Amino acid sequence: MRELKEVLEDWEAVIGLEIHTELTTLDTKMFCNCKLTHDDEPNTHVCPVCLGLPGALPVPNRRAIESIVKAGLATNCEIQKHSMFYRKHYFYPDMAKNFQTTQGPVAFCMHGRLDLEVTGRGAEERPACAFGEAEAASLASASAGAVGLSADLSRRADSQPAPTGADACAQNDPAPNDAGGTALAGLSSYDTAALATAERREDGSYTVPIRILRIHMEEDAAKMVHVGGEEGRIGGAAESLIDYNRCGTPLIELVTEPDLRTPEEARLFMEKLRRIFLTLGISDCSMEKGSMRCDGNVSLRRRGDAKLGVKTELKNLNSFKALHDGLAYEICRQAEVLEAGGEIYQETRHWEPSRKRTVVMRTKETADDYRFFPDPDLAPFDLTDEFIAHCAAEIPELPDAKRDRYQRDFGIKRADAEQIAGDPACADFFEEAAAGLAGKAAQTVANLIVNELTGYLNAAGAEVTLETCGIAPAQVASLARLLAEDAISSNQAHEVFTLMAETGDDPAKIVDERGMRQVSDTAALQPIVDAVLARCADQAQQYRDGNQKVLGFLVGQCMRESRGQGNPKLFNELLRASLS
Amino acid sequence: MARSFDTLTAAEIAAGIAAGDFSAAEVCTAALDAIAAREPEVQAFLQVTPELAQEAAARIDAARAAGEALGPLAGVPLAIKDNMNLAGTRTTCASRMLENYESPYTATCVARMLAAGCIPVGKANMDEFAFGSSTDSSAFHPTNNPWDTARVPGGSSGGSAAAVAAGMVPLSLGSDTGGSIRQPAALCGVVGMKPTYGAVSRYGVVAFGSSLDQVGPFGRTVADVALAMDALVSGGRDPYDSTAQDVVPGFVAAAASAEDLAGTRIGLVPAFMEAEGLTAEVRAGVERAASALEAAGAELVEVDLPHVDAAIAAYYVIGPAEAFSNLARFDGIRYGYQEPGCANLAQQSALSRAHGFGDEAKRRQMLGAYLLSSGVYDTYYYAAQKARTLITADYTAAFAQVDAILMPATPHAAFRHGEISDPTQMYLSDMYTISLNIAGNGGIVVPVGLGEDTGLPMAAQLVAPAFADERLVTYAAVIERALADAATGAPVLGVAPACAGKGGELA
Repeated sequence: MRELKEVLEDWEAVIGLEIHTELTTLDTKMFCNCKLTHDDEPNTHVCPVCLGLPGALPVPNRRAIESIVKAGLATNCEIQKHSMFYRKHYFYPDMAKNFQTTQGPVAFCMHGRLDLEVTGRGAEERPACAFGEAEAASLASASAGAVGLSADLSRRADSQPAPTGADACAQNDPAPNDAGGTALAGLSSYDTAALATAERREDGSYTVPIRILRIHMEEDAAKMVHVGGEEGRIGGAAESLIDYNRCGTPLIELVTEPDLRTPEEARLFMEKLRRIFLTLGISDCSMEKGSMRCDGNVSLRRRGDAKLGVKTELKNLNSFKALHDGLAYEICRQAEVLEAGGEIYQETRHWEPSRKRTVVMRTKETADDYRFFPDPDLAPFDLTDEFIAHCAAEIPELPDAKRDRYQRDFGIKRADAEQIAGDPACADFFEEAAAGLAGKAAQTVANLIVNELTGYLNAAGAEVTLETCGIAPAQVASLARLLAEDAISSNQAHEVFTLMAETGDDPAKIVDERGMRQVSDTAALQPIVDAVLARCADQAQQYRDGNQKVLGFLVGQCMRESRGQGNPKLFNELLRASLS
Repeated sequence: MARSFDTLTAAEIAAGIAAGDFSAAEVCTAALDAIAAREPEVQAFLQVTPELAQEAAARIDAARAAGEALGPLAGVPLAIKDNMNLAGTRTTCASRMLENYESPYTATCVARMLAAGCIPVGKANMDEFAFGSSTDSSAFHPTNNPWDTARVPGGSSGGSAAAVAAGMVPLSLGSDTGGSIRQPAALCGVVGMKPTYGAVSRYGVVAFGSSLDQVGPFGRTVADVALAMDALVSGGRDPYDSTAQDVVPGFVAAAASAEDLAGTRIGLVPAFMEAEGLTAEVRAGVERAASALEAAGAELVEVDLPHVDAAIAAYYVIGPAEAFSNLARFDGIRYGYQEPGCANLAQQSALSRAHGFGDEAKRRQMLGAYLLSSGVYDTYYYAAQKARTLITADYTAAFAQVDAILMPATPHAAFRHGEISDPTQMYLSDMYTISLNIAGNGGIVVPVGLGEDTGLPMAAQLVAPAFADERLVTYAAVIERALADAATGAPVLGVAPACAGKGGELA
């Protein structure tokens, strides 16, 4: 198979994501009072409602509706005041009623947008030809609603008589699902004309708008474990176990328009969304535990073509790396099939990270008929302005705004600001540690958080979090001061950080007790410089002859001589002065 | 002097127990005796629950002995339609699919009747999953009309109606999706009421058509039905049913206020009174009711419901569509009938459903599955919902002119078992009841005597605006009183003669 970058020169990948997020921070399930849990004994948090027993009725969870409205507001969606729950029918034991309660053509949140900043090496995945006019044409011809559930519903919308017709809907929107239909009548559409098209900046980075078709509310299914079958599938399993604890967990599904063009953009979108949801506090957003799950739809078309290719749907993309690598593989696979004159079948494929390939799970010869209809047990919603305003008032500062503020007020690097602002706990920690600081001092704090603290937490394992690790912002602030004062070198900082995490002591105390404070006294260091230059006359001559690199060696010798306690920057200066 | 307990109303039983004239245990024994004596002919029950009844009776007697306040229905035997959950009993819905299913919880409507003091004597027969108008589609046995055992009691709540008509219980609960309380009440000569959709909680009642189903009581007097209604709405909106509403328990007071109807306007729908298939004796019965209301001072006014013809068609789209969805959960995996020896999941679901459901249940689900399928959905489901809007608007317009509408409940008296074999003919027998489920309004059926031609019970139906259900008991009480026995004051129809006094003596 060819490399991704090469493939994307010839082919345009059209990618849409469907992202399910469990609202894990709520207390109870979507339609009953059962407690939301993660790891409890199977089937201990169940009741007639979530078990779908005869006669049970659903009662919607108000806080779940608040959460999805917040999610919609934070992703620039229009909040639909009037929407309904629908029933989606399929026979499978993970859904006790044999239908899932979800939303219909109109979801609580419709037509949002997130702008992605694509920087660094990831930006190189999008070839030079995919900017400007080409990108505008590409966006306009990517079918809105061409993914998943929305496609099913939009087919229905298409087939309905449309008394109000296209007038009521989008005039400047090429999306076929908005072309009419009573169910969507009256719904305003994207302002596509206002969408900026991606332009590549000098450093290779670019910003691209990704439209969000909808975010709807639904209930999660039960967890099934198939024992004795191949790869945990039901076919051939000796027995299948069902845990209904998860059944009825409030779930929001975000469906993007197929506006993503590279695996990197898909990964960044998912990361960005995760940071927003974490900041909103609506979910723990764990891809590992499955509380945030992503399916990718991808098709290829020749560069410049308006007609979309046949898409495949990828499952098991349960990490950012899997999302990127799975899509990258699938793009290359499809290109290979198409270039050999083959055909892509509409099918669901499973990403196997260990073998780095996708395999067919099931083929869709005909569209599933879920027999959607409005759930008669749940009255339509009419959200009030007060309710929406109440949700809006509870939204904290979002990651992008926070990043911009950190960059502006603390003067730290944008990439660091982005990383820190994306994790609410980390952001709080930073603000406390960097309080009153700016510029270099604040950047030092940021460096310690991004490098030392993150590294420490990663190494400490999943059980240790920022809240529980015992490291206080004041300690990091103190460590940053030591660095700013040149009391320790950045190499020493790593050692001090580890000691500080282990002992809980103040870094200044650690440095003093262990005699780690570096010597920045010229009078003390000059004799060492003189001694080294005397010993290394050859290298000194090389420097004088114009070999700048040899200076590093000489600094190293000085450090050795001072048993690591001399200030390397000062040695550098003294050496330069002595050799000039 | 010994007398059969079937001469007592629910109100009299509760009063007698409170006064110490007899104990709840004695009433319970009498009810179980009456059931034992009459059940072979009537077959109203799918399960009789003597232990539960005796326990409840003992609790009431103990409460009285302890000087505690008794509920308004303390010691009143109650039959419960078998689509309502009561912990400790089977809830079969008269289906093989749920033949051995025991619910772990109790329906709100049942719990409220028990909280008011009722003693649960058994689960009443019905058409399978409430699909029918005869109770003949019960998977276990038919129920016979106590007035003529060769005839059906109506349905789907046929067991509940027959148990009251046969004097086995003074009160029972039924559910009404297209007339399933009102039609059997009419055919069995008892009072039956379908409150406005949302007045009574549906929680714990096995759903047929979620937007149509409503629970209501049967009794032999309007006052007893009013007592049951107050019990059903007491406690306010059920937090477990998000379609339930707050209703003030003012039914007993409304039944007692039946005096002067001056200033009241009662509507009659000419198209209904002249409809093809309406028998002369039924029409005469409705006219007797109209005269009674007029005599009390009400003004009779003609009103029109122009779209009501579409009600049956709309109903047979919405009902099956919702039924398909609601019955999808019966797949033989977690509970209910499970086909033995299946090789895989798909086969097990398919065969369990094929063999667990009866013909009518399968017919409705297949119809619903078809109607909801893509392409077809737009043609039928949308059209049905539009018809629903128009029919509801018709009623709203009519109620701008009148306080209630009087109409037949059924076109004819009780028919013989097997007499109506064509399903569509059976569906048409619901022509007077269905539009109310479509619109959501409440209706009550009150006996008006025996038919001149058949000698079978005749009834009239009153319909009121949404959540004006207390009017129904007021006007029904006026009709009941006007037609009552002049000497005794007893309602025009009591316990069916063949059953009256058979077993159930109260010392």
